[in-house]
Amino acid sequence: MKIKELEKLKNEGTVNLPSRERRTFLKMGFLITGVYLGGKILSLTSVSKAFASGSVPHKKEYPYAPHYSMVIRESRCIDCELCKEACVETNQVPSYGSRTDVLERRRPIEYDAYETIFMPILCNHCNRPPCVRVCPTTATWKDEKTGIVMMNRSRCIGCKTCMTACPYNARYFKEEGRYVDKCDFCLESRLSKGETETACSAACPADVRIFGDLADESSRVFKLLHTPETIVWVLRPETGALPNVYYTNA
Amino acid sequence: MKNSLVLTIFSIFLLTTVYVFASETDKAEEYDEDTYGPEAPVIWQSPVKGVIFYHKIHTMENELDCDSCHDDVFEMESGAAEEQEDFTMEAMYEGKYCGVCHDGDMAFASDKRCTLCHIGVRGVERLSAKESAEEGKGH
Repeated sequence: MKIKELEKLKNEGTVNLPSRERRTFLKMGFLITGVYLGGKILSLTSVSKAFASGSVPHKKEYPYAPHYSMVIRESRCIDCELCKEACVETNQVPSYGSRTDVLERRRPIEYDAYETIFMPILCNHCNRPPCVRVCPTTATWKDEKTGIVMMNRSRCIGCKTCMTACPYNARYFKEEGRYVDKCDFCLESRLSKGETETACSAACPADVRIFGDLADESSRVFKLLHTPETIVWVLRPETGALPNVYYTNA
Repeated sequence: MKNSLVLTIFSIFLLTTVYVFASETDKAEEYDEDTYGPEAPVIWQSPVKGVIFYHKIHTMENELDCDSCHDDVFEMESGAAEEQEDFTMEAMYEGKYCGVCHDGDMAFASDKRCTLCHIGVRGVERLSAKESAEEGKGH
């Protein structure tokens, strides 16, 4: 129909519309609403399966053997930075980058004073690593056996997307090889050579970093995370990355 | 009549200026190092880095005299404590060094309020940056 002819037509109203047209319209409306609602309900139910009560995974749900993780007793850290020195020496970390760092924050306490809290950070070897998800060349992956997020430097093209994706700023670009480097729980430098501890964990004089196998119920990391009346937290849980490095005040 | 008024006002102005200048120099001399010990903080870097001690807090604010620590608990010598093998937290829990008073009764216990004294590598860097900035500006 031409526009001129359309303009001349009178509005006939809905009274004379055949009910079949109305029915089709209603059916389409219900279909769209139904699909939308169904999707909403489905998205709510899937959350309950994942590490539901708090950040610590449930017993007998450890997919890795050994399930390497680290517990950091934050209240004992005094920023002596012996862990950083040990890491740099063991893993040849250049001065412009860091595999592990110690952050600092102040918290107001009584009598107008402030309390300083030091927080060591490192790669969390997440259970849902955003860095692995975004790597275009599979240069980084989560090891099936140990759960460590590994790095194959020869496959890395230096696009730095993983550095952007990491919620914890745990990665740095190593100029000397043109690849992105990060903590590997000293797998290459120590664990593969028979050591049982990471360099930073061994160097700490204040017993802040405890490294071990979470799947082993007699290990210290397991005990620390499962002691009653202790508070355990992870960094940035809202990212959904499910980190494997836990912080506690015990 | 007018001359004497002007004279009075001028002399008042002169006296106030003198007073203001005098009081400015007074403030810098309030902390007496002979009575209270060195004003600059003592920074220990071994066995761990980044530990600080202020004489002012102990001598001026808490009114301890020099004999309370020198020379039984600490030698009055820079770097002497760091040379001791047993300058550790263990020793303090057993009542040596800071543990003489920091036992929970006289003052807070040595295993509490860690970061008051352990300001860390970052704390020491901030302090030295502040000091050099102040030196640059000049007092």
